[in-house]
Amino acid sequence: MAGVGSAVRRLYLSVYNWVVFVGWAQVLYYAVTALLDGGHEGVYAAVERPLQLAQTAAVMEILHGLVGLVRSPVTATLPQIGSRLFLTWGILWSFPETQSHILVTSLVISWSITEIIRYSFFGLKETLGFAPSWLLWLRLVLFLLQAGHHLIKFRGNLLPFQKLDLKSELHSFVVALLICRYSTFMILYPTGILSEVGLIYIALPYIKVSEKYFVKMPNKWNFSFDYFYTCAIAIGVYVPGGPHMFTYMLAQRKKALSKAKTA
Amino acid sequence: MKVSVVSRSGREVVKGGIELKDSAKVADLQEAIHAKTKKYYPARQRLTLPAQPGKSGKPVVLSQKASLSEYCEKGSGSLTVVFKDLGPQVYYSTLFFWEYVGPLIIYPIFYYLPVYKYFGYEGERVIHPVQTYAMYYFCFHYFKRIMETFFVHRFSHATSPVSNVFRNCAYYWTFGAYIAYYCNHPLYTPVSDLQMKIGFGIGVVCQIANFYCHILLRNLRSPTGSGGYQIPRGFLFNIVTCANYTTEIYQWLGFNIATQTVAGYVFLAVAAAIMTNWALGKHSRLRKLFDGKDGQPKYPRRWVILPPFL
Repeated sequence: MAGVGSAVRRLYLSVYNWVVFVGWAQVLYYAVTALLDGGHEGVYAAVERPLQLAQTAAVMEILHGLVGLVRSPVTATLPQIGSRLFLTWGILWSFPETQSHILVTSLVISWSITEIIRYSFFGLKETLGFAPSWLLWLRLVLFLLQAGHHLIKFRGNLLPFQKLDLKSELHSFVVALLICRYSTFMILYPTGILSEVGLIYIALPYIKVSEKYFVKMPNKWNFSFDYFYTCAIAIGVYVPGGPHMFTYMLAQRKKALSKAKTA
Repeated sequence: MKVSVVSRSGREVVKGGIELKDSAKVADLQEAIHAKTKKYYPARQRLTLPAQPGKSGKPVVLSQKASLSEYCEKGSGSLTVVFKDLGPQVYYSTLFFWEYVGPLIIYPIFYYLPVYKYFGYEGERVIHPVQTYAMYYFCFHYFKRIMETFFVHRFSHATSPVSNVFRNCAYYWTFGAYIAYYCNHPLYTPVSDLQMKIGFGIGVVCQIANFYCHILLRNLRSPTGSGGYQIPRGFLFNIVTCANYTTEIYQWLGFNIATQTVAGYVFLAVAAAIMTNWALGKHSRLRKLFDGKDGQPKYPRRWVILPPFL
């Protein structure tokens, strides 16, 4: 009984991670092509839909943590997803004047590369933990890939195929991905965070002028909301928040790489 | 007896260990460690027995008043304790004072001083009666808390980490300013007179009840401050384990009914969530301790914090 539940969980999480992975791969592809085609002003228009879909889908991850489907603490995922949704909907979508800025390009590229690595890492983790029949499927795919590779490389001179040591191949692939995941953040976090803060800052004058998302007093509930000040405070939160997330990832890296070494 | 003091990673904290009389108490060990290490005063030390291989669960914390011999393996004349540095500590009374003095000072600043000029609201401010009563109520509440800290509460642990000062002050002071800003706002809209009276009425009654709960809790502990747990009895404690939190929550509800601000209700929700968390812990601790076995009375069936919900 427990086996079935665990298999369903793994299937769901695999599908989830790979689907969102494809979304982010799209974002990166469209961003780069738009950049090469017409310059940075056109990047947002090209990536808007897949970006919004992929980023908003991440809300599911909070649910996963709350329900216990995954082990990540909600306190770590919430600020990350919160800031992403804030930027995606609260700044970029709400204030079109920011969309042509060059920081959009650096933002989208930082985010998409980070997420591509992250989702493929989790997707692989969930997929590999599968029942043997799926592993055989993967073995078959890898076998076919190797076969294709050999065919192309040796163009008819079919050398005897090297014995596929599946376990060590996969192991070194996962380790490479692990190192990738826990090293690229050292560049992508600063570029991403600086792009986020920069874009909020750029948006401030437009927020003030448009008075979007404002609730004014007087009213029955003695409530007011000033989006301008909220965004200004948000920038302030990045000052301790950014280094905190960075050091959290550094600690995760240390843990993960030491585990990989002993594995 | 010889006591060896090691860190959680196995390193010797006191080289060569400590020699003590066989009749020595844990407190004597703590004094000796402090003497040898200079910076680790007793309040900073957390001493536990080494984890048994194969056994899981929480490590046994050495109780300050107990004799060291209670923790020794039967027959042997030596003991190994695991040391953890809890970091710089402050007295709970210090922590509470600084948390509570913030709102006590901040709220009147918004009431008396022309603060709203800096938010762009020029001109004279009309002060409604409810705003004056709210200021007295709010300030009295925090004044009461400070008085209770020094004269009523008996703390089980005398100290708390210094970092909690910053965290707790940020919480109380920020919320204090947040509520004060809206309650004293030039564009504040008061509720009906009747609603105000009902709100403050509930608030005052619950504050008195809350004070009585604190007196009852104080009398559960002896003046020597040995801590420990007793089954709370009397007044609302007969039906609710954490009647002190219940009355505190309802007291804030009364304030909010009278003043009607989103800020106040947000604070109420957050405070209630925090207290519920504490209440669940306390309730389960009491139920585990008073399980009806070994001569312990059985903990009676009671609500945890907010009948009829929890």
